Amino acid sequence: MIGNMLEYYNMTKKNNVEIIYTGALWAGGIEGLGSTLRRQMEFEELSLSASQSVFSVFVELMNNMLMYSVEKMDIEGHPGVSKGVFVLASKQKVYFAQSGNMMKTENVELVKGRIDYLNSLDKQGLRKFYKEKIRQKDENEGSKGAGLGLIEIAKRSNEPIIYEFTPCGEDLTFMTICVKIG
Amino acid sequence: MAFYLEKEKTGSTPKVLIDEAKKYMKIEGESYHENVIEFFKDISTWLEQHFEAVCDGFVFECEMTYFNSSTAKLLLNMLLHMDDCAALGKNVTVNWITSEDNDIIIECGEDFEEELSNLTFNLVIN
Repeated sequence: MIGNMLEYYNMTKKNNVEIIYTGALWAGGIEGLGSTLRRQMEFEELSLSASQSVFSVFVELMNNMLMYSVEKMDIEGHPGVSKGVFVLASKQKVYFAQSGNMMKTENVELVKGRIDYLNSLDKQGLRKFYKEKIRQKDENEGSKGAGLGLIEIAKRSNEPIIYEFTPCGEDLTFMTICVKIG
Repeated sequence: MAFYLEKEKTGSTPKVLIDEAKKYMKIEGESYHENVIEFFKDISTWLEQHFEAVCDGFVFECEMTYFNSSTAKLLLNMLLHMDDCAALGKNVTVNWITSEDNDIIIECGEDFEEELSNLTFNLVIN
């Protein structure tokens, strides 16, 4: 176990990883990691609009994982603590934000369809779609953000959202989302 | 008793002030807590139940530096309710305050303004 550290370190270096986080995800944890992320972008002297974009994608990816990860941790007094992994890599002020979490296979087509649709829209189209969605009444409580988070993510990136769905057993699929910013 | 509410900001929730007697409300800072609905609950309830009665001459200042998509939905709902009240011939003002380099907040202010037709919406860029 302990001998792997150099290997991990070299791997993160090779992939230009700035931040990697895995384990428990909860609202307060997002705050903590968020302020670390902000500080790091300050060190790199990123413009406000660039750092806001990275931060926004980070928050929406984390909130998505909190909501949709099927791996929940059973901690007394803390319902809804989820598991997932978040990686932020950067090269010459271009950022790659990635999230990974386990989801129900039955929802894969729905999520894929949503992302494919967003990827087909241009900036104006996204802005219009966002406005349509934000005015919609929530159809069910289970979808708190009504898919707004994904639209916000798409708005902050100039390139299509990349995804990968890896089946893990019969009912579960590991979902990876990668967003390029800047 | 006129409604009065003050909330100090935390890492992911904004500072809030509602002073019904002064017909003034201000929200400032950041909002990206996972459960924003819970955070804004008493504000939304007050708006729905009491705002209409006091809305003439009311000023809402929104000076947020960042908010997530769930907060955006909530804010728009609040503004739409204010707009409905203003439709009854009442004078309601919203000042959307931001810095000139905060593109996301400016864009959002522009989008929201298009949805509102009765209240006075000022995009204040410092």
